[in-house]
Amino acid sequence: MATVQVSEAEKLYVLHGVRDDLRVDGRSCEDYRHMEIETDVVSNTDGSAKVTLGHTNVLVGIKAEIGKPKPMVPDEGYLEFFVDCSANATPEFEGRGGEGLGIELSNTLYKVFSNKHSIDLKSLCIRPGENCWVLYVDVLLLQCDGNLFDAISVAIKAALFNTKIPRVHISEDEDGGKEIELSDDPYDCVRVNVENVPCIVTLCKIGHRHVVDATLQEKACSVASLLISVTHRGTVTCVRKVGGGSLDPESIFEMTETGKRVGKALHTPLMELLQKEESLGSKRQKVGFLG
Amino acid sequence: MLKSKTFVKKTRSGGILKVVREHYLRDDIWCGSEVCEDCKDESPVLEKNPCLESSLCTYPHYLIPDTNVVLHQIDVLEDPLIRNVIILQTVLQEVRHRSGPAYKRIKDAIHNKEKHFYTFTNEHHRETFIEREPGESANDRNDRAIRVAAQWYSKHIPNSAEIKVVMLTNDRLNKEKAEQAGLVVYKCEEYIKSLIANPELVDRLAATADDQNEMTSSKIIFPEHLPLSQIQTGIKSGKYIQGTFRANRDNYLEGTVFVHGEGDESTEILLQGLQKLNRAVHQDLVAVELLPRDDWVAPSAVVLQDDGGKGEDDEEEEDEEKKLQTKKVHRDAMKPTGRVVGIIKRNWRPYCGMLNVSQIKESTRHLFTPADRRIPRIRIETRQAATLAGQRIMVAIDGWPKNSRYPKGHFMKSLGNAGDKETETEVLLLEHDVPHLPFSQKVLSFLPKMPWAITEDDMKNRVDLRHLCVCSVDPPGCTDIDDALHCRDLENGNLEVGVHIADVSNFIRPGNALDEEAASRGTTVYLCGKRIDMVPELLSSNLCSLRSNVERLAFSCIWEMNHNAEILNTRFTKSVINSKASLTYAEAQMKIDDANMNDDITQSLRGLNKLAKILKAKRIEKGALTLSSPEVRFHIDSETHDPIDLQTKELKETNSMVEEFMLLANISVAQKIYDEFSECALLRKHPCPPPSNYDILHKATKTKNLVIHTDSAKELADSLNEAEIDGFPYFNTLLRILATRCMMQAVYFCSGLDSDFRHYGLATPIYTHFTSPIRRYSDIIVHRLLAVAIGADSTYPALMDKHKQAALCNNLNYRHKMAQYAQRASVAFHTQLFFKNRGILNEEGFILFVRKNAIIILIPKFGLEGTVFFENRDKPSPKMLFNEEGPTLTVEGHTFNMFDRVRVTISLDASNIQNQKIRMALLDPVIPGVSVPLPEPEPEAKKAKLDR
Repeated sequence: MATVQVSEAEKLYVLHGVRDDLRVDGRSCEDYRHMEIETDVVSNTDGSAKVTLGHTNVLVGIKAEIGKPKPMVPDEGYLEFFVDCSANATPEFEGRGGEGLGIELSNTLYKVFSNKHSIDLKSLCIRPGENCWVLYVDVLLLQCDGNLFDAISVAIKAALFNTKIPRVHISEDEDGGKEIELSDDPYDCVRVNVENVPCIVTLCKIGHRHVVDATLQEKACSVASLLISVTHRGTVTCVRKVGGGSLDPESIFEMTETGKRVGKALHTPLMELLQKEESLGSKRQKVGFLG
Repeated sequence: MLKSKTFVKKTRSGGILKVVREHYLRDDIWCGSEVCEDCKDESPVLEKNPCLESSLCTYPHYLIPDTNVVLHQIDVLEDPLIRNVIILQTVLQEVRHRSGPAYKRIKDAIHNKEKHFYTFTNEHHRETFIEREPGESANDRNDRAIRVAAQWYSKHIPNSAEIKVVMLTNDRLNKEKAEQAGLVVYKCEEYIKSLIANPELVDRLAATADDQNEMTSSKIIFPEHLPLSQIQTGIKSGKYIQGTFRANRDNYLEGTVFVHGEGDESTEILLQGLQKLNRAVHQDLVAVELLPRDDWVAPSAVVLQDDGGKGEDDEEEEDEEKKLQTKKVHRDAMKPTGRVVGIIKRNWRPYCGMLNVSQIKESTRHLFTPADRRIPRIRIETRQAATLAGQRIMVAIDGWPKNSRYPKGHFMKSLGNAGDKETETEVLLLEHDVPHLPFSQKVLSFLPKMPWAITEDDMKNRVDLRHLCVCSVDPPGCTDIDDALHCRDLENGNLEVGVHIADVSNFIRPGNALDEEAASRGTTVYLCGKRIDMVPELLSSNLCSLRSNVERLAFSCIWEMNHNAEILNTRFTKSVINSKASLTYAEAQMKIDDANMNDDITQSLRGLNKLAKILKAKRIEKGALTLSSPEVRFHIDSETHDPIDLQTKELKETNSMVEEFMLLANISVAQKIYDEFSECALLRKHPCPPPSNYDILHKATKTKNLVIHTDSAKELADSLNEAEIDGFPYFNTLLRILATRCMMQAVYFCSGLDSDFRHYGLATPIYTHFTSPIRRYSDIIVHRLLAVAIGADSTYPALMDKHKQAALCNNLNYRHKMAQYAQRASVAFHTQLFFKNRGILNEEGFILFVRKNAIIILIPKFGLEGTVFFENRDKPSPKMLFNEEGPTLTVEGHTFNMFDRVRVTISLDASNIQNQKIRMALLDPVIPGVSVPLPEPEPEAKKAKLDR
């Protein structure tokens, strides 16, 4: 993970600031940095979104392909995650530097998103046991400035919202031969229900308090952080501790409560924003990567 | 401005792919009209005064046809009358997608400057590009794009010009919407009918779906065809079988479906009756369903022609169908029988033929009879029936609705009066798919520049053989001489024999337009009095032709032989020769026979002749077959080009001399290229016929108490030599003719894809064609291979690709077959011309085959084959009994056996002008009610004298 070197004096300064609910950039402990979202940025994908959080910049593209359902759950589709840590994001990713992080991130994403509570996987099934949609979620890190998980999760939710899966139907003849047929209208497509898709809120324990959306500097001051995925109802779907230090049960409980509160508050404006963007349709001026 | 086009498609493996293409819009696409001042078009295509007089549009106008109009009414659009048409890019793309031939034709029309057809790239024009809207089908979107473009034009063309655009569409909805948008729009039929200048154009209108609706009341004759998706799944599951439909030439109610199998496992499925044929037309790709075993039938031996003067009397047809289902035959004779359930791909082409003018005077609907008997008759609408009667015309099929007895089509063009030599030649070239158009400029541009001379460069890799006494021996009048020979004594007492073949591959370089054209033509086609060249005349009759006393490039095959014609040494080389004489067979024969002649050429010829005789004897010893087919040669009047006499070709010793050395060269070359390139050598094989092919030969000889052994070529050759009947000298020839019919077709193939190389007829283990590169493309490839093998030329990728070679072989085999058919058709036509001038003749003939209701007779004097039918429409049929074992046919007590001698009258039946036939009628044996009386003795002798 990208890190910055912080001196003892700086560390103390950050620590004291957090204690007084005033962070280096002026935010309070539960504030996110400025966030920008744009969907439908890559035309080759079935759904895509770009999220900028502070200077953290991630791009998520989703491609839907037809695959075979997993034998254990023949009536469900599934998701596959791949995180590409581009060397553009930080020099540490050069060569194979980003590989470990990429795997860690994709494993976490798999745990958080690929389950029937987050997404209606049954709706991805085309023919039980034979064909289903597989959503390949490709995450590209363009720039790292802390709090990758939160940025990625928001981008994934936005990209899923944007995803348009071509509508197929199964034609069947009298002999029982089945054939997947594609609608010839490119506008005829299925959307993914993102209502229950969670967002990840990462809480960093700094001193005795914890902050959301830690910058790299703050991260360096923290011993451990807790990763909580929360749905729009405030249901916690996944909790994971990352970092070397330990957390006492008391603070875990406190952090979970904060996470729920912040996560719930994150969903509402996100969905509003996405719907607003959607309603603009093709008239919307695209910003893309040059904005 | 940049837009992107997005669509999803299904890949072959079943995956689904989203495709995004960039699409640029421009504002510098000109409208192409001469009147427009805004557009900076340098050479506008559309005229300032488009004049096309129509009673509907009295003002000057440009036409914008929609896709279906271009697709279906291309014959109309091609007419020189129709000018100033705007073809939208949308239309062009759709046409290209849906029909290759139509696309090519509309492109040709666009390129034709006279036509003033303009392609407007509306899809890339900023103001006419539209995106597909949600809920809109691709077709609707294209229709809208056409309307938008038409609207743009009507706004864009300045009002002062007073030119309007007229949209043509047959789609009712599209028309309504266009009218709402304020466009001038007509149905194609409406518009064409309104044209004042040319009412005949209406005939070329293709029948559209709308017209067919009028007929819904009439009864449905055929079962519905299944949709393609159902056929495909049916084929996958094995319920239906896919194959090529082949109509029976002699019986219009019967056909077979040829099913391609792996290797030799190709099978045939029999179809009988109109219902089972279910609107399949010859060469269509169809899906068939096998009938249960109990319903299988045997192919009938009846000859049935759809002569249909009787119109659509279904009852008679049913009678004829019943006739097919003769009493239960032996189970072995049963063939797998099926019925057509659907058409996978139509293989319709324009057909040549003639019009059967309707009996009803004012009727505009007529039947058209194609020249090819395997094609059903076609119903067309025309008002020019009176003029078209007696002409050869071309007709295209538009469709075959299930309630119509005949397919529907439309008139395309007239080829000229039936019976004219030019017209008939054109017909037979078109019908046999022989490419006969003049060579294009592009092809000609690859010819060497004249004056041509051998340069230093040419002499590299070449041996100078100009000093040798080389000569050529060919039929009289031959201008494309591709082989020359020499023979001389060597100092060691052996003989040196050289075969020199025109070095065509030096002039035709791989891959250029000339090469591609030659590869596509495949062979030169020789018709009576006309030659359709494979390569342009400059090459065929001049630069490549090994004429005497000029220096020519050659590819030589030189052997050292001893006096027993055993090859001691073979050498291949590119060379330069200077032929000392171009002889005809007769001249060469005279030189050899004339003891007074002792010049070099004669010496050389004698040496060759001696060796050839030994070679021939050896070949026959090995089991080479001498087969026979009656070949006819016409004496053509030099002025009228009419045949005035005909004779069967006679063979001289010198013919066989040249042939022997050509065979030897071919075999030597075949061995060489196979040794060098075992994977991609182009060879020729003649497969051994399956034993069942000889059935007819066995049956026939049994009646004469003779036995023909057919186990091997050698045994066949020997027993044919022994089969003689006293007092019947022609019997042996008849047998040989029959044996020829049992043979398989010789074919080209690529050595890497086959294991059986034998040439059965020539009794050689390997064979190819090397000796006639001027008239056969196969030889050019063999030349190239050999040149690479001896290091005289460089190779190229396609030459070494066995799959490309195999594809080439397929084309060559097809072209050869077609060329043969065309040649035969040409001979048949000239035979007719000959008999036309003769009146009724009275000749002796022999029965070649016996059929269920007819006998086929060969007249040796003319090499002519004809059929005597024992059934007549107007008369009650005589009592007939057909015995398959013989096969014999007993008519009113007289039994006809194969090889029986009969006398017949020969006359040209010109009563039915569209299919002039040689008609034969029986004179002797006399059977009451069947045979005809001796014709009035005409002053034959006098007439003959006049002819001379």
